[in-house]
Amino acid sequence: MATGNIQSGGILGGAAGQGGRTSRLQLGTLHAATFLLFLVVWWILSITVGHGFLPSPQDTAKAAVKMFGDGSLEAATLQSFFSLFCGFLLAVIVAIPVGMAMGGIAIVGAVLNPYVDALSSMPRIAFLPLIIVFLGLGYEAKIFMVFLGAVMPILINTYAGVRHSDGELIEMARSAGAGDADIFRKIVLPGALPHIMTGLRVGASLALINTVVAELYTAVSGLGGLLSIYGNSFRMAPYFVIVAILAGMGMLLMYGIRLIEKRVMRWRIERS
Amino acid sequence: MESNSVSDESPAISVRNVTKTFRRPKAAHGVNALDGVSFDIRANSFVSIVGPSGCGKTTLLRMLNGLIRPDSGDVLVDGAVPTPGPHMGFVFQSFRLMPWRTIRSNVAFTLEVHGVGAKECAEKADYYLNMVGLRRFAHSYPAELSGGMKQCAALARALIGQPRYLLMDEPLANLDAQTSEFMQIELMKIWRKHRGVVVLVTHSVDEAVLLSDQIILMNPRPGRVAEILDVKLPHPRWSYDARATPEFIAMRAYLWSRIKRMVASDPESEFYLRDEAIVGETAAIQG
Ligand SMILES: Nc1ncnc2c1ncn2[C@@H]1O[C@H](COP(=O)(O)OP(=O)(O)OP(=O)(O)O)[C@@H](O)[C@H]1O
Ligand SMILES: [Mg+2]
Repeated sequence: MATGNIQSGGILGGAAGQGGRTSRLQLGTLHAATFLLFLVVWWILSITVGHGFLPSPQDTAKAAVKMFGDGSLEAATLQSFFSLFCGFLLAVIVAIPVGMAMGGIAIVGAVLNPYVDALSSMPRIAFLPLIIVFLGLGYEAKIFMVFLGAVMPILINTYAGVRHSDGELIEMARSAGAGDADIFRKIVLPGALPHIMTGLRVGASLALINTVVAELYTAVSGLGGLLSIYGNSFRMAPYFVIVAILAGMGMLLMYGIRLIEKRVMRWRIERS
Repeated sequence: MESNSVSDESPAISVRNVTKTFRRPKAAHGVNALDGVSFDIRANSFVSIVGPSGCGKTTLLRMLNGLIRPDSGDVLVDGAVPTPGPHMGFVFQSFRLMPWRTIRSNVAFTLEVHGVGAKECAEKADYYLNMVGLRRFAHSYPAELSGGMKQCAALARALIGQPRYLLMDEPLANLDAQTSEFMQIELMKIWRKHRGVVVLVTHSVDEAVLLSDQIILMNPRPGRVAEILDVKLPHPRWSYDARATPEFIAMRAYLWSRIKRMVASDPESEFYLRDEAIVGETAAIQG
């Protein structure tokens, strides 16, 4: 979890294995082909299993068109996105400074580490009754659940990144006469950035998962709510539309993070 | 490098009876890196520290820079306990460039942390990049440079602070033979122009003899000064074939034989007693 491979190409070169990099066109073709394959497999499965259990791609598409028509889907998506966004933002705001403090100030790290260990291995759903007692069933509870999911991976990775900063570069900065503040800002933080980005990525996917979990277990709302409504009544086509939208949200989230990554770590990308 | 207020008589750097032991948390015995090291360095002189691996050369440089303090004894630079800063340029054994910064921004780092404005930083960085022949790579990242180019960038970063003391830890060790010869000449020229004290740690006996006024030969485990030699070859040494002079050849042979003997008789060296002939031969030379 601590080290991520930043280059999307992977370390072993192009897919064709000729050592070169896959061109944009090749990649696009591959994407299209795999998606088509996915649709075909889905379609065959839906025929063999039966439409009652697994809707065909066409049925799902039809359901999507209908659901977008009546506006219920937009509202649910917005609700979910609101919880996801607020919870994730809150997690970032808390986790990065705390992780930095833990890594930068030894005593803070030593004191907080047991709590971090305890909290990070605990299933978040265990907190749900407590959250409901204190925050109710509304959006506060949902945002907090999302926060709980995302905060630990971001914190742990920030902590690790700061702790494993490059001692040689720090000595270099010291020999140039840099003070502690400059060393932290100019050496430790940039060095921790790859770790922090990994934390953000893991945190984001957990945030999305917890968004749905919270919507299922607190006041039913958002995409998670629709998921349970359609699921419980075995309306599989609309159910699959929700699943697809959730998958899309996840991809969008990761794409956004990758954009940030490209901006702040240009030096890593340009190397290949 | 402005001229020293200290007179030529009093040493610019004075190291007295310095000891340093590195202790590891679990190990019973620490590593005795330096043991009773003493020497003086005159103002405006070029000094090389030579000795087998592990004899405490890097440790000594870090002490001169003020990065670490001796366990006992004194290190005085200009008569005071040294503190790190731009007046003490340090070129490390490894390049130590920040991979996330461009070369120009890496070089400017020394000034940047002392509150110099961005414009002046860039101008000065370009000036020193030009000096080391890297002007065209100002906007490249370290990963895009060869080893030699990276070392030049690290040199520029040390020079940009206009240091009165330039401490270099095997700066040319990672370069190919040709580049390192050109860099040796470049170093001599830079030093002749800016003056100040240069302390160069090197594995290369040739380099030490070619560049220095004084050579401090050290032996390992524990790190001690074995001998201090003066090199009397006239400056500037790039203006004639210094390597062909009898002084150069004699001194080179002498240093080499001493180092060979040190290594072959060091029980912790991988070459310990590897070649009885070396031990015998060097013993014969020593008389
Ligand atoms: N920070 C440290 N912690 C523990 N031991 C150290 C440390 N720095 C140096 N030493 C030990 O002190 C001894 C001298 O180290 P130093 O790096 O000064 O040698 P050196 O002469 O620079 O060697 P080389 O030529 O290989 O660079 C070595 O035995 C080394 O293992
Ligand atoms: Mg060394």
